[in-house]
Amino acid sequence: MHKLGRGHRDKVQQFMAITGTSEKVALQALKASDWHLEGAFDFFYSQPQIRAVTDSRHLEELYNRYKDPYVDMIMVDGVSLLCNDLQVEPQDIVMLVVSWHMKAATMCEFSRQEFISGLQSLGVDSIEKFREKIPSLRAELKDENKFREIYNFAFGWAKDQGQKSLALDTAIGMWQLLFAEKHWPLVDYWCQFLQVRHNKAISRDTWSQLLEFAKTIDPQLSDYDAEGAWPYLIDEFVEYLFENGIVQRRN
Amino acid sequence: MSAQKKRNFKIEAFKHRVEVDPKYAEKTWKILEHAIHEIYNHNASGLSFEELYRNAYNMVLHKYGEKLYSGLVTTMTWHLKEIAKSIEAAQGGLFLEELNRKWGDHNKALQMIRDILMYMDRTFVPSNHKTPVHELGLNLWRDNIIHSHKIQTRLLDTLLDLIHRERKGEVINRGLMRNITKMLMDLGSSVYQEDFERPFLEVSASFYSGESQQFIECCDCGDYLKKAERRLNEEMERVSHYLDAKSEAKITSVVEKEMIANHMQRLVHMENSGLVNMLVDDKYEDLSRMYNLFRRVPEGFSTIRDVMTSHLRETGKQLVIDPDRLRDPVDFVQRLLDMKDKHDKIINVAFNNDKTFQNALNSSFEYFINLNNRSPEFISLYVDDKLRKGLKGVTEEDVEVVLDKVMMLFRYLQEKDVFEKYYKQHLAKRLLSGKTVSDDAERSMIVKLKTECGYQFTSKLEGMFTDMRTSQDTMQGFYASQYSEMGDGPTLAVQVLTTGSWPTQPSTPCNLPAEILSVCEKFRAYYLGTHTGRRLTWQTNMGTADIKATFGKGQKHELNVSTYQMCVLMLFNSEDCLSYKEIEQATEIPASDLKRCLQSLACVKGKNVLRKEPMSKDIAEDDAFYFNDKFTSKFIKVKIGTVVAQKESEPEKHETRQRVEEDRKPQIEAAIVRIMKSRRVLDHNSIVTEVTTQLQSRFLPNPVVIKKRIESLIEREFLERDKADRKLYRYLA
Repeated sequence: MHKLGRGHRDKVQQFMAITGTSEKVALQALKASDWHLEGAFDFFYSQPQIRAVTDSRHLEELYNRYKDPYVDMIMVDGVSLLCNDLQVEPQDIVMLVVSWHMKAATMCEFSRQEFISGLQSLGVDSIEKFREKIPSLRAELKDENKFREIYNFAFGWAKDQGQKSLALDTAIGMWQLLFAEKHWPLVDYWCQFLQVRHNKAISRDTWSQLLEFAKTIDPQLSDYDAEGAWPYLIDEFVEYLFENGIVQRRN
Repeated sequence: MSAQKKRNFKIEAFKHRVEVDPKYAEKTWKILEHAIHEIYNHNASGLSFEELYRNAYNMVLHKYGEKLYSGLVTTMTWHLKEIAKSIEAAQGGLFLEELNRKWGDHNKALQMIRDILMYMDRTFVPSNHKTPVHELGLNLWRDNIIHSHKIQTRLLDTLLDLIHRERKGEVINRGLMRNITKMLMDLGSSVYQEDFERPFLEVSASFYSGESQQFIECCDCGDYLKKAERRLNEEMERVSHYLDAKSEAKITSVVEKEMIANHMQRLVHMENSGLVNMLVDDKYEDLSRMYNLFRRVPEGFSTIRDVMTSHLRETGKQLVIDPDRLRDPVDFVQRLLDMKDKHDKIINVAFNNDKTFQNALNSSFEYFINLNNRSPEFISLYVDDKLRKGLKGVTEEDVEVVLDKVMMLFRYLQEKDVFEKYYKQHLAKRLLSGKTVSDDAERSMIVKLKTECGYQFTSKLEGMFTDMRTSQDTMQGFYASQYSEMGDGPTLAVQVLTTGSWPTQPSTPCNLPAEILSVCEKFRAYYLGTHTGRRLTWQTNMGTADIKATFGKGQKHELNVSTYQMCVLMLFNSEDCLSYKEIEQATEIPASDLKRCLQSLACVKGKNVLRKEPMSKDIAEDDAFYFNDKFTSKFIKVKIGTVVAQKESEPEKHETRQRVEEDRKPQIEAAIVRIMKSRRVLDHNSIVTEVTTQLQSRFLPNPVVIKKRIESLIEREFLERDKADRKLYRYLA
């Protein structure tokens, strides 16, 4: 704040008073609008998320509640407890959304950094606030773009740290979870096909391309193009569907 | 002289009119009319040309041109009508003759009349837009004779009838015909065309349509074509003799259409005599005739080509998938070569070396050779056979000829990398067993392969030759250094093979007999002394040995055996009887190899230096082996070795194929990376096309494999998909 000129400082104060946000947010908005107060308000209110102020002391307390006694991380037990407090099941997909906000590196673990900055970005510093946020987090899955980001995030999050590919069982579990939200009629056949024919880990490319496939190609495969540069696994899946008469082949 | 008054001379215009006698015109015309009559009555000799000319001249001069002209028309017309009657009256064959004669007369008369009336022709006619005299004469002839209703049809019918008869074999008066047709031409090309040519073509068409139908029912293909050719020649001759030259193209196309084009399919597919039979029976003359005739009609060549192509493909396919043929690879390839030779000759002799046919032949061969995925192996075996013994005593040029022909087949292969693998294996065996007929022939083959496929293809093969030479030098050096110490030990000949150049073989365990082992160690020490940093591994599965053996009655034989066989036999120096298990334990040779080795020592007639109990053909775990004292052979030197190149067994074939597939993956990846590095961004289909093009000289990559390689490269972060267009790939530097 001391680096700003007096005019700017005043504007920051005004902004904070009116919107009730933190200095950081005020600075962001004013910079974006070239230090015009009206423009800054426009900028701020057009943001989808209203960043509320969080108290870092509360966050520390929260973290310590869930942290593992031996390691500076929230591990399985901690996550369990967190879910309990939030009144959600551990395998509820909203936890994936939470992990996404936290930019968690791997499932069932949160580092201090991840947990705290995650909660900050959500604008919650207590369990009550967190619980209240859950429905809106769930709603984010309905947004196309967010869903894609979450879906692609899930790959890195669900796989083992040292591996490049995602183990098949985990992948199938994730798909069933994700496609329960965004309905894809062929998801069961896909999982069946993989178990019968493929039996190997899933590459990142296949993972991300599958979403495109589910979104753009209709279940009767009428606009599937064999020259469409789909990963070979998806081509084989299409063959599998034709062979087993699940979809009629078109000439 | 007195000066005279000068007078101006004036020549005054001729003022007074020439009085023309009103009857002058009529009188003059009468003279001329009379002259015309006389001319037509062949009585011209009494006339004075000069007088008549002057009369005509005067008439025109005095503005009586019109009278003269119309008088001419009337008179001539009258004469022509008389002539028409006389022609009509002519009977039968005399009709044409009469017509011809009268035509000649008319022409002569016309010429004379024209000469007389030349002044009118030159002045009155053009300025009054009248038809010139000569032309007028022709037109009048046309209108009054040719188009007279009694003559017109009769003329046409007579002409057509004569032609028809000539076609049927009668002799007709060609000179007369020529005159008549020339007459028609002179009357104007439209007269010729309308009054003769068009009906002539129509009639000819139906004639040939009928005749061709008749022929095709009763003739075979070759005969039919002969007849067609004859008719065609006939018509051309006819035209040259008595028709207008322009009719040639028209009548020939009629014959071509009726006799050839309409029956093309039937001819070509005729049973027992069609194109396929001609090809099979090498009927060069018939094929040549077909080629020359069919070239005249649209789709003619393509019809022949298509039938030939499908015949070749079918025959070739039968050849390559016939299980009997597959038993003998050398025979298999020989048959392919024979088939190629045969058809090359046909194209050369009968089809005029036509490039399009050559291409059809090539594409057919390429098609069916690749139907059998063992073709590369078999071609390599064929070369192996030739280089091993087939080319013994053959001259250098003939060797080149054989190898060049093999190269032609090689070019058709899509999977050249498979061929390379087998060629390497077979070459290795040839080199190591020393069984090559001619080093020059080997080298010549390598050179041909290099020319065809580039340096990389043959660099390893050449490495193999180098190793052989180097080994010889090494051996010399070895023996020179060991001279004093060798004594009675076995003589060793070592070939040192550089691992990268020779086909990879897993090294198998094998316990060498003590005597052999010691001399081997001496060699190892010598070699490593001069080449530090290298590692030597004995390839016991590839060696040979010559052993002297003494049998029951003291007969000595020299046995040429493989290293494995030597190890087994040496065991019998200390034992008379050994069980399979004991042999296995002592030698540590892998079971499948050991069984094969024992089979060749004990179960082959004439080579059974060991005796087996029980005497079955297969080796069982509890068999017992005895040294066969009773072994006899009429040869002193007996060859029992089994290191000859053979057609692979199923599992071996499978293994080789797998290795080939594995080798292809990095090649495909290298191609993808090369392409992406230079293009930076490219869509999927273009990558597949480019990779296929780049690799086609070695093999045909499978698009699915290419796709998998792309995905593997994405995994390893060499490439990424474009964010906006998922069909596009980007190179990641």
